[in-house]
Amino acid sequence: MTDTLALLQVQNLHVHYADGVNALRDVSLIVNPAERVGLIGPNGAGKTTLMLSIMNAVRFTGRIVVDSIEVSKKTEQETRSRCGMVFQDAEDHLFMPTLLDDVAFGPLNQGCDTNEAKRRADEAIAKVGLTGLEQRSAHHMSGGQKRAASLATVMSMQVKLLLLDEPGANLDSRSRRRLIEILDARTEAMLLATHDLPMVRRLCSRVILIDEGQIMADRPTNDLLADTALLHEHGVIDGID
Amino acid sequence: MHHHFIDRFAMGDSLIHRLDARAKLVSVLCYTVVLISFGRYSIACLAPMALLPLTLLWFGGVPVWFALRRVAILSPFILMLVLMSPVYDRAPHAVTFGAWNYTISGGWLTAGNITMKFALGVLALTAMMCTTRFALLLEAMRRLGMPQIIVVQLGFLYHYIFVLIDEAMRVRRARDFRGAALAPVGRRLAAVGGVIGTLFVRTLDRSQRIQIAMAARGYRGELRSLDQLRFTGADAVFLIVVGIYLVACRWGYPRWI
Repeated sequence: MTDTLALLQVQNLHVHYADGVNALRDVSLIVNPAERVGLIGPNGAGKTTLMLSIMNAVRFTGRIVVDSIEVSKKTEQETRSRCGMVFQDAEDHLFMPTLLDDVAFGPLNQGCDTNEAKRRADEAIAKVGLTGLEQRSAHHMSGGQKRAASLATVMSMQVKLLLLDEPGANLDSRSRRRLIEILDARTEAMLLATHDLPMVRRLCSRVILIDEGQIMADRPTNDLLADTALLHEHGVIDGID
Repeated sequence: MHHHFIDRFAMGDSLIHRLDARAKLVSVLCYTVVLISFGRYSIACLAPMALLPLTLLWFGGVPVWFALRRVAILSPFILMLVLMSPVYDRAPHAVTFGAWNYTISGGWLTAGNITMKFALGVLALTAMMCTTRFALLLEAMRRLGMPQIIVVQLGFLYHYIFVLIDEAMRVRRARDFRGAALAPVGRRLAAVGGVIGTLFVRTLDRSQRIQIAMAARGYRGELRSLDQLRFTGADAVFLIVVGIYLVACRWGYPRWI
């Protein structure tokens, strides 16, 4: 699978953890510029590992190309400035003393001067609706605010690809709806790992089903989400509904 | 969960809040040096030293009771030292206060001295912490030449202490809800060991995730932050006034004290 126009290309990706778990087995996929792709599958399917591999945070074999740059130790700074990952636990993202410092952290590391970093940070904070909380620290924010803040930390880096790991987890319905609106307004390509199928239906044009480290299906959203037998077989939906 | 015990008043806006964090940090450092420079039998001459922290608290809008409560909370750390002083130093000392003369053992004077220095030091520290956002304090430390690694560690400590407390509370609650209070002492102690172990593993786990999150946002060992400090004429005046005040306290107090 090779596509020179693709923003993200993953070819024959294998990840083997030290404890003997084969987290990913021969995974290949592409994500085109501005395309939104859902990544669904049961717990432990390998969704997070796939994202960590793209960020070069776990050891892998195979080939990952982000914006025509092959991911490796040498190129990781370049590829990381092109794709940003939002972690499942927002606390992992917010390590600076204030929201403003946290959101400016990425741009400053990208080499922006302080004025530009502040401008980008202010813009990202406004887009996620947290204006006025710039000087607040994470422990003074609600769960929904922390999630929005973690998204802002990546948006300020002006990446081309957003990797979102369970962005709607543990959010109340209002915060979740707000998050969907924020994500829907984005123009970057997106790889969205979630169990939230309505969110996938709303945001993504294509869905990849992953189970036991392997891609089981890669189809348009409506087509795949209509295949209840397949979703049921792989534990994405249960028989109770 | 929301925690306020470190920075409850730091987000306020007052004359003291608006001072540059470096000016406050330097003044509190100088204050501490002057405070500990007094001899171990000095008590009454420490009284004027209360003026600076109380002024900072007053103009910073921080209730004195809040600061005094801090002193009380931290007092167990010096309690043993204070209690042991009269035991170890029984040499008689003549004390003069105005027209009054009497004799007291040196240990009691030392105990009073330690208590005063401790209380004044904590008051000054509390006044600074309550009138300065922690982020600005960290930036001030960095700009004043403190090694980057220490500043980064303090920043992490400030944020993740709350996360750790939250996790500890959750784990403890989970333990209590399953009847830990009814368990025999042995099993309860084993559960405490389990809680500590769980927290340790979770902390290690989280530190790895944070490391990945930092690396993913381009961190390469140097922490850059937005420059939010402005040293103005008011800060210079503040430093000069504090300097004169400290010199007066240390070397200019009336002889009768």
